[in-house]
Amino acid sequence: MAETRKGSISPALVLVAAVAGWLVPGLGHALLQRWGKAAVYFAGVAALAVLGLLMRGNVFSSNSADAFDMLGFLADIGSGLFYFLAGTINPAGGDVSRAAGDYGTRLFATAGVLNLLFVLELLHIGFGSKEEGHAAG
Amino acid sequence: MTLNHFATMVIFALAVSAAFAFLSKNTTRERVRYAVWAFLAFMLVAIGIGWLMYPFSH
Repeated sequence: MAETRKGSISPALVLVAAVAGWLVPGLGHALLQRWGKAAVYFAGVAALAVLGLLMRGNVFSSNSADAFDMLGFLADIGSGLFYFLAGTINPAGGDVSRAAGDYGTRLFATAGVLNLLFVLELLHIGFGSKEEGHAAG
Repeated sequence: MTLNHFATMVIFALAVSAAFAFLSKNTTRERVRYAVWAFLAFMLVAIGIGWLMYPFSH
């Protein structure tokens, strides 16, 4: 049976880690000393988000009346820092008149949804409801 | 930057497979096996569905 790492992580640290993990993908896991996961999660989200933006994917804003655009915003905001840096990474903005822009929109939304999954996992680890093997880092 | 549909699909499949492997498995061996399996499943299903839809493009 795998050795478990249920530990005494303070709830405050877990909540801080969750916010940090949302803002900078992987940072929350790094704060809980899950170094391997932190690196993979950051690399995965960063690759998808930056590529999505460079392909001129659409980034949804919060002030839309359309329900699907709002869902898009909820997915996009999940990528944390990358959402706020979207204008810096791709100053030209989205262009979904070409197929590449459409693919980019999906990649960026995927990055956000994945990061939200990582934050949920972090909460599970932090509050002790997820068993981890000794190699789980 | 412009990538074609296939390249985009490969990058998507790689990132999501690795993420799911780390989310759901605990040991390195399990993660590698799961990531490879998920990546191949993504590719095979996408290419399979692509071929199934091919007749409708003509």
